[in-house]
Amino acid sequence: MSVPLSQMWTVATYVIRQRLAGRKRYPLVLMLEPLFRCNLACAGCGKIQYPAQILRKNLSVEKCLEAVDECGAPMVSIPGGEPLMYPEIDRLVAELVKRKKYVYLCTNAILLKEKLHLFKPSKYLSFSVHMDGLREEHDEAVCRDGVYDQAVPAIQEALRRGFRVTTNTTLFDGASPLRVREFFDEMMRVGVEGMMMSPGYSYSKAPDQEHFLRRSRTNQLFSDILSNPKRGWRFNQSPLFLRFLMGKHDYECTPWGNPTYNLFGWQRPCYLLQDGYAATFKELMETTPWENYGRKSGNEKCQDCMVHCGFEATAVDHTFSSVRGFIETAVVSVTGKL
Amino acid sequence: MSLQGWVPDIGPYLTVAEVIEHAFDYRGNVTVMRHDGEELVGYLSNRDAAAPEPFVEVIDEEGEGPIRIRYADIVNIRFTGKDPAEGNSWKAWLERKEREKAQHAPSTSA
Repeated sequence: MSVPLSQMWTVATYVIRQRLAGRKRYPLVLMLEPLFRCNLACAGCGKIQYPAQILRKNLSVEKCLEAVDECGAPMVSIPGGEPLMYPEIDRLVAELVKRKKYVYLCTNAILLKEKLHLFKPSKYLSFSVHMDGLREEHDEAVCRDGVYDQAVPAIQEALRRGFRVTTNTTLFDGASPLRVREFFDEMMRVGVEGMMMSPGYSYSKAPDQEHFLRRSRTNQLFSDILSNPKRGWRFNQSPLFLRFLMGKHDYECTPWGNPTYNLFGWQRPCYLLQDGYAATFKELMETTPWENYGRKSGNEKCQDCMVHCGFEATAVDHTFSSVRGFIETAVVSVTGKL
Repeated sequence: MSLQGWVPDIGPYLTVAEVIEHAFDYRGNVTVMRHDGEELVGYLSNRDAAAPEPFVEVIDEEGEGPIRIRYADIVNIRFTGKDPAEGNSWKAWLERKEREKAQHAPSTSA
């Protein structure tokens, strides 16, 4: 596993503090969406289908920082939209780094090379580059030829300048385990710090409705990919989450683990579902009927979901809530065997 | 199936509250018709049916808002804007790829 020690320590102490304080629900990663505009229109994405006046809008940096301070999560992920299209992305990131938040700036890397000069390398900042596979698979997933060949040199340039770079991969039905393994080899060769992956979520607004994974297929696919991991592979996510994807754990969703703040407010209940918006984080946490979400609730929208924004927080909590979970995480981290 | 162009027929089988739910789920602009005859065109970004005074929030065509309107003030909602979630862009992209592949494939005719 490749999460830096300082980041692990920050997360571990944060989780332990929450547990000692008796907090049943606490956020781990704030999903901050300052805009919905994007320079791609990927088949599996349900985030950008809005009328023009919404796509033109940006959250102010001040609003973003209010949300960050109110939420208190130690990590902030900036998806979107394409965050590098946000006019004040440099100021936003600088303010987050100043607050010692671990920032994952999620980008398709089309603009990365030309915008790199806006940022300073920091242990708190990681470019999380959307890469859905090798050239053929990635360009197909993002519905545009040539994007892979833009992203890889941008990643290399960012690494050359001393930035942390990770990849973020969404897998859909029909993915070839062999090709995914080759992709992991290639990303390691390119030199990224670590890789993140997740099955796609069946957004009702996404143009491609045919290729979302069902639960048993998800377990099979990830088992095929990960059951014999190469020693050189590095993953920037909880090993227990990866084991969950392989079917070795039966976790319940933690929708409040990755709360989402965007142009409309605090999104209920999670990053993927839009059941309404709260004006404040406190209101989100206190008035969302959490019992209506997750697999056990019977909510049909949650039945096949195994996405990291719902389950990685569960896996992290498992690590720090039991000796068994801690030992399992430690063993997997040391041996690399999933 | 997209709701684009739908003008709901409010009556015994369809309530305003139900139409609001559809409008909240709709990704295009809608026209909110009020009892006082005023109309507001925009994106219905939020609604809260469980609030003490149920309301919707609309961001108008100029991007101003959210403008809050009480359920009680709404007589109907027309689905007037283009539905940006409608379409088969992924399928269209695949079809274009297939056409390109076919064009570049070597001819098999003698």
